Amino acid sequence: MLERGLEEKTYVLNLGPQHPSTHGVLRVELEMEGEFIIKADPDIGYGHRGHEHMAENRTYAQFLPNMGRVDYLHALAYNQCYCMGVEKLLELQVPERAEYIRVITAELNRLTSHFLWVGAYLMDLGAFTPFLYCFDDREQVLDLLDYLTGSRLTYCFYRFGGVPVDIDDDFTAGCRKFIQRLRGRWVDYDNLVTKNVIFIHRTRDVGVITQEQCIKYGLTGPMVRGSGIPYDIRKSEPYSAYPAFDFEIPIGERGDVMDRYLVRMREMEQSLRIIEQALDKLPAGPIMAEKIPKRLKPAAGEVYAAVETARGEFGCYIVSAGDTKPYRIKLRVPSFGNLSILPEIAVDTLVADLVAILGSIDVVVPEIDR
Amino acid sequence: MLRDNIQKALAPLQLEQVAVGDYAKTGCHLDATAAPEQMPAVAEALLSLGCFLESLTCLHYPEHFTLVYHFANFQELCRLAVHVKVPFDQEAPSISHIYPGANWYEREAYDLYGIRFTGHPDLRRILLPFDADFHPLLKKFGESPADA
Amino acid sequence: METKTGAPLIHFGLLEEALNLARANSLWPLTFGLACCAIEMMAAGAARFDLDRFGAGVFRPSPRQCDLMIVAGTISKKMGPAVVRLWEQMPAPKWVIAMGNCAISGGPFYYPDQYAIIPGADLIIPVDVYVPGCPPRPEGLIEGILVLEEKITQRGRLRKFRDVTG
Repeated sequence: MLERGLEEKTYVLNLGPQHPSTHGVLRVELEMEGEFIIKADPDIGYGHRGHEHMAENRTYAQFLPNMGRVDYLHALAYNQCYCMGVEKLLELQVPERAEYIRVITAELNRLTSHFLWVGAYLMDLGAFTPFLYCFDDREQVLDLLDYLTGSRLTYCFYRFGGVPVDIDDDFTAGCRKFIQRLRGRWVDYDNLVTKNVIFIHRTRDVGVITQEQCIKYGLTGPMVRGSGIPYDIRKSEPYSAYPAFDFEIPIGERGDVMDRYLVRMREMEQSLRIIEQALDKLPAGPIMAEKIPKRLKPAAGEVYAAVETARGEFGCYIVSAGDTKPYRIKLRVPSFGNLSILPEIAVDTLVADLVAILGSIDVVVPEIDR
Repeated sequence: MLRDNIQKALAPLQLEQVAVGDYAKTGCHLDATAAPEQMPAVAEALLSLGCFLESLTCLHYPEHFTLVYHFANFQELCRLAVHVKVPFDQEAPSISHIYPGANWYEREAYDLYGIRFTGHPDLRRILLPFDADFHPLLKKFGESPADA
Repeated sequence: METKTGAPLIHFGLLEEALNLARANSLWPLTFGLACCAIEMMAAGAARFDLDRFGAGVFRPSPRQCDLMIVAGTISKKMGPAVVRLWEQMPAPKWVIAMGNCAISGGPFYYPDQYAIIPGADLIIPVDVYVPGCPPRPEGLIEGILVLEEKITQRGRLRKFRDVTG
């Protein structure tokens, strides 16, 4: 801490809800002394749309499009989790080919989410070129997903029991071409961003999160992997077709912003590996389960399904009372827990560092607010 | 095995029920039922085993609220669900001094249902505007449910 | 709502047309993404769909420097006063594009028991152009901006220097 001047006065500064670097409508109330932050209090709820209330007023199938809007950047993983939960309640068996297609599309979606994060984050830090590079790569993936699903952003592609549309040779060839092109682009990203002196200075040893804080705050995703805990639901609680694939979980050492960035970049390469293996091993067969009831009325009970999204663990806790509409659906979103650590790690940082830390948490505010 | 460790740690607390769950059907390895005042002790026992609070849900039934705490662990897969019945005019004890991450979850439960937590440092609304005067997820029992 | 964007007292004819042409071709939008549509707005400003070639690529974070507010996303009741305040902070002449179904009429979140959103931006601020979609493709947003340009210049898109009938 620097020596303070003669008079010490604190003031309150509002970061948001309209701000270029808040990634949505987040408001952080900062009590500051000069450029240093004394207290940071996030104020959420500006994107509250009442998803959980809608869940109690909709049938299971009518609620499926909502899942693409909870976190629109990795919408397919959210679709997958909800479908998994309902399939467990209905005791439906998803055919293997459908599981492979779900994995391929969810991993492609993870790539788009990470690309957008890198582009937007570096724009927060003041660099405009990576934004254009990332969006260009992202558009290539969106072309593939648009070809298959018909949407670019808020997907609603999976159905209870499988997927409705099969992948064809054009899609497979497009994927392979894209993977080859992207592998050649990692060098560009390295030179432009990872080895950039300004980026290193702004992110090394900034926003350090310890493993103990990870446990106490219930953080998940790249936040804990950056701090050295190898927790990835795809490996620790395998679901869908993930047990068949060979991939690594990149972890960091220091738990600072730079480590979280490197974890996400390396995760993208692992996603490419998974997609390649899935395309190689894709089994033939049906893409929808047989005998799906026309009127979905699961037996009374509860189920908790979890998937690994780009932001962390998304859990869907469904309580059914034996009716066509759920009794309660709780969406356990990763950004909610991840953002709750901000008041603790923002103390005694500069405002510029706060922007770097807030970006590295990778929040999607409509997911926090549901 | 983590599941046995958790059962051993919860045994002295004399909870109403600690049973092995059907993971394939419900996604939880252990199901427990506890009284509201036992919750801080449960949270401390689980924190000492390195478990983290995955989720906190509130359910509204005609006679009472039910709080469902889900705990998981980074090292080994074992999910524990703790169901706590809270009568309507009673307050539940907060566990935010043990798990700081529970702070926001408890604020959310208060915001959506009106259930209060004793010992919470800052119990105010989190999702709805601060001057809202209703709790949106409270069910209206007694009205005829319309089927889709 | 009383605003000071009424008709001017003195018309300058050709000068106004020239000014409108300048305003239409260099709209400065406000970075105001609320939800999912914000991503498609960013994609419209990025490399493939380039809003810069229409002059509208200079996104400014401060409302004092903008003349176009693209309401991209659902307006929750908590956010409503902030939207109105931002609109009032923009200097005249200003325009509003309601992008996406949520900003037009509440979108997929509108149902009888909805308690949390304002179903449509035109309930709180005057809207000039509506771009439907959930989310609209970036080409849709570009079409919306071109329609707004037509509205500003009162002329057809391709023939800006001749009268357009019909």
